[in-house]
Amino acid sequence: MKEFTKEILARYNGKNGIPAYVAYEGKVYDVSNSFHWKDGNHQVLHNAGGDLTASMKQAPHGDDFLKKFPIVGIMQGFHEKT
Amino acid sequence: MAKVTREMVEKSGINVDQLVELLVKNSAAELTTYYYYTILRCNLIGLEGEGIKEIAEAARIEDRNHFEALVPRIYELGGKLPEDMKVFHDISACPPAKLPKDLKDIKAILTVLVEAERCAVRGYTHICNMTAGKDHRTYDLSQAILNEEIEHESWFSEFLGEGPSGHFMRRGETSPFVSKFLR
Repeated sequence: MKEFTKEILARYNGKNGIPAYVAYEGKVYDVSNSFHWKDGNHQVLHNAGGDLTASMKQAPHGDDFLKKFPIVGIMQGFHEKT
Repeated sequence: MAKVTREMVEKSGINVDQLVELLVKNSAAELTTYYYYTILRCNLIGLEGEGIKEIAEAARIEDRNHFEALVPRIYELGGKLPEDMKVFHDISACPPAKLPKDLKDIKAILTVLVEAERCAVRGYTHICNMTAGKDHRTYDLSQAILNEEIEHESWFSEFLGEGPSGHFMRRGETSPFVSKFLR
């Protein structure tokens, strides 16, 4: 699976036809086809190309909303718990 | 624009431009929902559909009221609505509540209705969280709208058999929480 650094992830900002990727708990999700991530922005405050792990705690929804999107990679240094 | 109003909200630590953008997107969701609910209501027919029509109508009218109540706050904070209605539609905070393919599938129509309300509940919870203890007027307005959206969700959820809502349909006037912003 493709490994992303913060810098590489930041390129996938969902603008000008570039895919919208976001990281969450070490995994990278492709949210390009989500209505709620148009132009790489979600609810004004969140931008694609970033890590949502911290902000998910304040979100008015659970992470199940994100986990239904395809995983396209992992963040560098992430190891899945077994 | 209400200059001091905006200044007070800015001083509370809120990014006013972000807040205004959220209010515009949610007002777009309300007006587009009002439009799509008009079509959904028209298609609530037959033995099953007729029983839901009146409650869908109450939600439709209250969503229009939410739009009406949000607009003054947007302008007070220095924002504005897009001049182009098509642009306004496309920046909605919630997906269009379009008719399902099978018009006779009342459960599918109810699912569209409940998902639209759930999107609104999340949206106003987000605005309440952002403004609590900081922007009192936007909080009061968002909380009033949230109260009504929660009731809408409960109504449709009950019809879907997800459990009792604990509510009865509106008796008398619509928008018991938001009406104070419409006077």
